[in-house]
Amino acid sequence: MDDPTLIARAVRKDVAAFNALARLHQSKVRGLLLRLTRGNHATADDLAQETFLEAWRGIGNFRGDSAFATWLYRIAYSRFLMHARKRKPDEQLDDWQGEAPSGEAATHARVDLERAFTKLSAPEAAALTMCFALGLSNTEAAEALDMPLGTLKSHVLRGREKLKAILGDQP
Amino acid sequence: MNDTDLDALLSTPLPERDAGEFTVLLMEKIAHDQARPARILSWITVGLLTVIVAAACLYGAQMMNHAASFNFAIPSLLTLLTLALSVAVMQSAREG
Repeated sequence: MDDPTLIARAVRKDVAAFNALARLHQSKVRGLLLRLTRGNHATADDLAQETFLEAWRGIGNFRGDSAFATWLYRIAYSRFLMHARKRKPDEQLDDWQGEAPSGEAATHARVDLERAFTKLSAPEAAALTMCFALGLSNTEAAEALDMPLGTLKSHVLRGREKLKAILGDQP
Repeated sequence: MNDTDLDALLSTPLPERDAGEFTVLLMEKIAHDQARPARILSWITVGLLTVIVAAACLYGAQMMNHAASFNFAIPSLLTLLTLALSVAVMQSAREG
């Protein structure tokens, strides 16, 4: 079943339809939040749960002007910002806490990338993740991050430059 | 690292996460969320019940000294209200 059908049913408070929507989108929402929380699985999953719960409560307000995924990312990012504001200074995470994947060279590059992401600001990390890994257009990402298109583009540009510098310095 | 390599690395999809446990927990939270109005109603009803029982006790104490003017209407009304509210609490508890 496609998103619009499931959304129409979920708006009528059909839990099974919302469950199907959650199954379809949970991986990307959790992935985005995992990157923003610098690999903290527990916090990322808690925020993802809050994101979907808020989506369930507010699904009646979803007008379909944007894709459902974009709407979810917007909620997820605002949840993350709220969490970041509440976080005590000693809870600042400085390095990637996720598990290190074993195996091929590609996964080493991936771990290096995740570590490099921890050096970016939240808007830079979110902008790059949305535009590249999640495949959103610049307009969609700007909408999800609630920022003007020009600001998004400068976050992407600055984030890329930082990543290039960090990854270029590594042996 | 050149731009092409960086773009390729950035475009790698995020690792797939298993939906199982996550959606089970989410559905539990949604069920809990849906039961919230019923829980609030049951607490309001319990509060009203307490007020009614207190009023009944007060009325009984007053009537102890005025047995001649005892009126069955008030205790009957209080009993009916208590019964109705008890049913409401039981229904709310069942829905919760």
